[in-house]
Amino acid sequence: MSCRSHSYWFAALLLLAGCSTHAHTLREPRELFYDNQLASAHSKLDKLSSKRRSDATVIELDLAMVDLLRGDPETCQQRLRKVRDKWDHDEQASASESVTAMITDDQRRAYHGEDYEKLLVRVFLTLASLMKDGVDAESYTLQILSKHEQLQQRADGRWGESARHAYRPPPIAFYLRGVLREATHANYDDALRAYQSTAEMLPADSFVNHDIERVSHGVHSAPGNGVLYIFSLVGRGPHKVEVAEQATSDALLIADRIVSAVGKYSVPPTLAPIKIPRIVSPVKPFDCLQVNVDGQTMGYTQPLTDVQLLAAQTFEAKVPEIMARAVARRVVKKSAIYVAKDQLNASAPLASLAMDAAGVAWEATESADTRCWGLLPREIQISRVELPAGKHDIQLSPAIAGRVSSPTSSRIDIVDGRNTYMLSYWPSLSPIGSAQISGQR
Amino acid sequence: MECSQWNRLCLLACLALLASGCRGYQYGHLIKNNQPDIVGSHTAGAEVYNPLIDESVSRLLGTQMVTAHPAMLGPDGLPACRTVCFVGVENKSAEELGDFKDQIYQQIDTQINRSESFKALSRRMVDAALQETRLRPDSLLVPDNMRLFTSVLQRDGQPVDYLLYATLTSGTTERNSSTQRDYLLTLELIDTRSGTFTKEQASIRKGYHQTYLGKALNYNPLKAWK
Repeated sequence: MSCRSHSYWFAALLLLAGCSTHAHTLREPRELFYDNQLASAHSKLDKLSSKRRSDATVIELDLAMVDLLRGDPETCQQRLRKVRDKWDHDEQASASESVTAMITDDQRRAYHGEDYEKLLVRVFLTLASLMKDGVDAESYTLQILSKHEQLQQRADGRWGESARHAYRPPPIAFYLRGVLREATHANYDDALRAYQSTAEMLPADSFVNHDIERVSHGVHSAPGNGVLYIFSLVGRGPHKVEVAEQATSDALLIADRIVSAVGKYSVPPTLAPIKIPRIVSPVKPFDCLQVNVDGQTMGYTQPLTDVQLLAAQTFEAKVPEIMARAVARRVVKKSAIYVAKDQLNASAPLASLAMDAAGVAWEATESADTRCWGLLPREIQISRVELPAGKHDIQLSPAIAGRVSSPTSSRIDIVDGRNTYMLSYWPSLSPIGSAQISGQR
Repeated sequence: MECSQWNRLCLLACLALLASGCRGYQYGHLIKNNQPDIVGSHTAGAEVYNPLIDESVSRLLGTQMVTAHPAMLGPDGLPACRTVCFVGVENKSAEELGDFKDQIYQQIDTQINRSESFKALSRRMVDAALQETRLRPDSLLVPDNMRLFTSVLQRDGQPVDYLLYATLTSGTTERNSSTQRDYLLTLELIDTRSGTFTKEQASIRKGYHQTYLGKALNYNPLKAWK
């Protein structure tokens, strides 16, 4: 085998090397966001979004979250709609991307979101719409349920009935629908159905039982009163990290040693472990928020959707497929080296060793696809307070095991017979930015 | 592995990948009036609700035309239109109506308004009255509630002769992997002065099957001809 042939092969292998993970690039703006430096986080993300990147949609989602908390729900909606439509298009199969991903890694595929992210894009579209004027909020709630139905059917087809349990819709989807139907004062039957569906997904004695009772026999609010819904996004949410699948890598190493022993040529040993992404999430910083109105304690926010659980369950159903793809990729790479040896007749030990080393290097360039919406909360909590129409002072204080931390205050205007919505994000004991209130800008 | 085997393997892999397809775009088209509606595979849609609305509303209007109601005369001496307050659509069927609920409301409302003998109140007026009185739609038949509700509308210059309720119900029959669902739309017109009511219904039966042959197995055309 000539030196020239060798150099061609090395050059080809270098070109086929996978990308480094995107987590490093986004770490800084995400940390700025969690440090409550929204303007700096926005400018960093904006800079990244102007470049042509494979994680462009993820950056767009992070920007949407920053926009929402900076009090710009309109831009937030625009960004979320853009990502929703792009993902709907990109989730179709692409032969060219499949081929590229097979010889590099999964990061070469256009990222079309994990299934939980697809649902949460629509959840946040609903929340952003409510923060603005609520015109499209009902449509978005229907879109969450419709997308969930579609994802569940697809999961059934790909992974069998076992995936059905993992593919439960986020309870907030039904709850938001109930809230909006109840607010019409005429569609209590729809609200009842929606609250009943929410209750099926929450513990038996959940707060939704009060909602069910109210829409079954009562009314939205007493004359002269309006309703305040407090949505709190608590804790840092799920994100992906790269992990080495040691057991699979060991099995593959034994398999390729057997092939090397019985075959004409050796194949590169599996020294670089197979890497796959896993979903992790930090623990909640506190249990709930205490809600004080005009100096009086009115109650606490209640868990409505465990985003970490939703992410972990839907992602777990997909893990065998990710693993199978990673193993298939290794087999393709090993076969390519084997054929290269056969074509170049690399029977000399040194040449064979050099090609094996190149093969190992090729395999080591793979990274797990850790692209994800990194600014999601761990949990979405809710509190419903009926108040007389007029202006009120609201104080929210994190509560840990009965102890209450220092509060943050907002002033709200309640309208007779209408809903007012308040949204705040609490990754730690203090919120990011100020609480967003619907119709007050 | 021989080189020819590898080539064959590569060819097969390429074919398999190509078979997985390329990304396409989504297209839309207009459905002409004479073309049938798409039949929903899992739940009812336009193919069920549109005929149900047409049939039930026309029956109700037909009945009211021939019923011997003392016609009220307008200022010009001609029979005055009777005012209908369409309270809402109640869904008691096994399926979520989704975005069809408001569609059903608007279709019924429009058809009533098109008739010569009835005039429907604006939905916005009805919603505003419900919000002001904080009455549930299903509680309007309690005499005191009805008086309160109609007085609010009358105060706003909208006297009410009738309350109209639409209720969608369903009945499900299952046979192995096939299901028959009967959809029934009931319209109930209540005279606010006398409390008497008129009721009309329309129904449609629909079959759902989990296999291509489901329809043929359950509705064998040869059997039907016998």
